Amino acid sequence: MARSATTSDVFNAIAEAQRRQIIDLLSHGERSVNDVAAALGIRQPQASKHLRVLKEVDLVSVRGSGQQRLYRLNGEGLKPIHDWTMTFEHFWEESFDRLDEYLKQIQSKEKKND
Amino acid sequence: MTETNKPDVDVMDRQLVITRVFDAPRDLVWKAWTEPDRLALWWGPKGFKLMVAGLDLRPGGVFHYGMRTANGQEMWGKFVYVEVVAPERIVLISSFSDAAGNITRHPMSAAWPLEVMNTLTLTEHDGKTTLILRGGPHNATAEERKTFEDAKTNVQMGFKGTFDQLDEYLASAR
Repeated sequence: MARSATTSDVFNAIAEAQRRQIIDLLSHGERSVNDVAAALGIRQPQASKHLRVLKEVDLVSVRGSGQQRLYRLNGEGLKPIHDWTMTFEHFWEESFDRLDEYLKQIQSKEKKND
Repeated sequence: MTETNKPDVDVMDRQLVITRVFDAPRDLVWKAWTEPDRLALWWGPKGFKLMVAGLDLRPGGVFHYGMRTANGQEMWGKFVYVEVVAPERIVLISSFSDAAGNITRHPMSAAWPLEVMNTLTLTEHDGKTTLILRGGPHNATAEERKTFEDAKTNVQMGFKGTFDQLDEYLASAR
């Protein structure tokens, strides 16, 4: 399946530092495009562009509120990133927790059988 | 340090290193890594049931496994063993795969390295085993290396708080 890199891949979407800043900002609550632009010190069209990329990969959703459109972080959209971190450091750490348990169990069993 | 050593240091910097001490003799930790029935009891992501399709522990041999969630979603992956030195060292290449064992892309990221080289070393002191696992991209393109690097950086760059929040969100959404 051919996929366009930035628009459909969550990881590419967050590879850009300003977009990561936007995610952090939105984790504190809904913001308008002007709020985002002001917080990051960038121009409004630039902020719109970043928000569009984040929206395309479902990291943010938008709702109209009067004249304003408010952007918010979409937790479900972040899940692939979360799962990804689980696959590496966290993944191994978690497996090793279970290995630790397993080794304790098997050793206490062997002692009982002696 | 000679000039030829420099690229190695660079490669080392790109690796992920995990160290753990287990209160068990090395032989037992080795068995847990190399016997399919034991491996199935601890290895894999949380919430998945591990299915071992095959484990052939020798250089060039393959450990092929599937992971199934409670709602029936399946993911496959494999290790290709590069070096097996019982009971102290295993070098293996890990990748995602399909049910037939063909290497596939990361299910969530098109730019993730197809192959990750992992080196496991086990040492024993006073009945306890120290495990060191090193992992880094293998045969990767510049873009794949960058994805691996960026992902490491993302975790370090304050995403931790976002993930904690996401954990809470996912827990409440369940």
